[in-house]
Amino acid sequence: MDVIVQIIASGLTMGAMYAISTIGLALVYGSLNMLNMAHGALLALGGYVCYFAMAHLGLHPLIGLLGAMVVCGVAGLAIFLVAARPMLRAENFETRIFIATIGIGAIIENIVLRLFGPQPTPQPFNLSGAIVIGQVHVPNQNLLILGLALLLMAGLALLLQRTRLGRAIRATAQNREAAQLMGVRVSFVYAQVLALSGGLAAISGVMISSLSSLLPNMGGDPMLKAFIICVVAGLGNVYGAVAAAIVLGLLEAMAQYVLGVQYSFAILLLLVILVLIWRPFGLFGRRQVVRL
Amino acid sequence: MPTRRDLLILAVLVALAALIPLVTGMRYIVTQATLFFIWAIVVTQWNLVLGVGGIFSLAQMALFAVGAYSTAMLGYYFELPMLLAMPIAALVTVLVSTLVGAACLRLKGPYVALLTLAVAQMLYLLITNDTACFTNPPSGCMPFFGGVRGFTRFGDLGFRELLGGKWYVAHFYVGLFLLALAVLFSLAIIRGPMGLAFQALRDNPGCAMSRGVSKFKYQLWLFALSAFFTGLAGSFYAINFAAIGPTVFSISLLLFLMSMIVVGGIGTIWGPLLGALILMLTDEAMREFGDWRDIGLGLILAGFVIFLPRGLMGLPVARLPRLSGRRRAD
Repeated sequence: MDVIVQIIASGLTMGAMYAISTIGLALVYGSLNMLNMAHGALLALGGYVCYFAMAHLGLHPLIGLLGAMVVCGVAGLAIFLVAARPMLRAENFETRIFIATIGIGAIIENIVLRLFGPQPTPQPFNLSGAIVIGQVHVPNQNLLILGLALLLMAGLALLLQRTRLGRAIRATAQNREAAQLMGVRVSFVYAQVLALSGGLAAISGVMISSLSSLLPNMGGDPMLKAFIICVVAGLGNVYGAVAAAIVLGLLEAMAQYVLGVQYSFAILLLLVILVLIWRPFGLFGRRQVVRL
Repeated sequence: MPTRRDLLILAVLVALAALIPLVTGMRYIVTQATLFFIWAIVVTQWNLVLGVGGIFSLAQMALFAVGAYSTAMLGYYFELPMLLAMPIAALVTVLVSTLVGAACLRLKGPYVALLTLAVAQMLYLLITNDTACFTNPPSGCMPFFGGVRGFTRFGDLGFRELLGGKWYVAHFYVGLFLLALAVLFSLAIIRGPMGLAFQALRDNPGCAMSRGVSKFKYQLWLFALSAFFTGLAGSFYAINFAAIGPTVFSISLLLFLMSMIVVGGIGTIWGPLLGALILMLTDEAMREFGDWRDIGLGLILAGFVIFLPRGLMGLPVARLPRLSGRRRAD
């Protein structure tokens, strides 16, 4: 019984963390057909900005988090302006932006490395203490992550379904030309989506680093997992991505318990390949992918 | 006669390159040239997959590592002579590549990229996270795949005994020979029936497919065949440095090689070679700014994709040796 509680608790926490970084990726792919390989670097950047604000400037944790979101949002915006916009209408956009963002990711990651050094640093954005369920200690930090993830997802769903911006994003994702003809400023929407995705990456980065520690290349693994989740859900499908993130988080926790940490990722991957052979467009994707 | 012209260019380049050890006595230049040959083999084969087959695979360095690790393990565990281990390693790479391809190639563009990247990452994690001792030699615990340290002392091609201190010159010529074969192979693919099939699939997918040209089939063939020289390059890399470790999986190296293709020109015959040469030279020039190397690479990669997507071969000056039948704007 205790084991099950433990698995569920850590699985949900992981799933929630994956979900936050996955949403950003899914949003960007859904609206621009752009795989943002710089996302992992943005995670690290966000984590470090929050750390810098709290440890070196002595600011309140929430201000640190907010600052990280702003910095990463601006970075996302810059990626759009510098890389995505010039080639938006060119052929092979998907391939080219993929390669370009790999380069940009390397640049950001190495700037972080130059500024903060290669040693692991603890993330100060952290709650101490734990809640005891039965015999199991569930750290408050995990609950904070879970709560924050739920809050963010609810906020994002509201944004997508209820606001003008959300409608513009959905319209652009469904059909760029039609949206443009209806008076949606597509380029503006894209810019907002990338900034939003950057902000989400910052939160995700702070959360991930609070459970392990800050490293300049800490974003690589979570990004890969987030991508895998996107792929399993069907690229660009935001709600599917959230569901897949939580399911995969639980599965990973289970695999870690049963088979040991070192094989959990391999098992996850094997599962993903099997799913994709069975459904090449993802669990929730359709052949003609309906996005968002 | 584009094929004859390309063969002529190849012959001239090989002849010129063969002179390098005769002209210079500097060991450093010769060994760096050998390394250049190895990377050039990798990028010509990657270019086939990426530019000709339109498969966005990021598993190239993983396949390279499969070749290198197979060689090292065959030498280490079975004490196989390296001359025998090299072709076996290349065939093992083809086998692995076929499996990866069968799993990944049913998917479309970005899915393939992500899945191949994930496969590479999985191999890396399996190698580095494995801490259980498989054998226990006097030098310390040895995991089955060498763990974080990797393999050393698994044999060599015998040139060290034969030539003494000059062994690196022999390796230079082996590398050049392998590169010439790899370029010939890529020429045969691009100008041969497979190249035609991909050209047809690019220009008019509907027509091509209705005439029985199966995209999956040809992509799988290309993916598997191009792995042969990739694996061979990995094998030779391991032998040349007499060591192999998980560092070949590093993102930095992947970035370096991808930049070569992008700078030279994706899908062209000579572009990747040109790119490899330029990046090796740039890297040499940036050596003094060691820590800034990856930032420079990132800038080069992003800059070229954004401003010069066809690479140097796409410049008007270099229009001549372009691959025929580029995708037209449709």
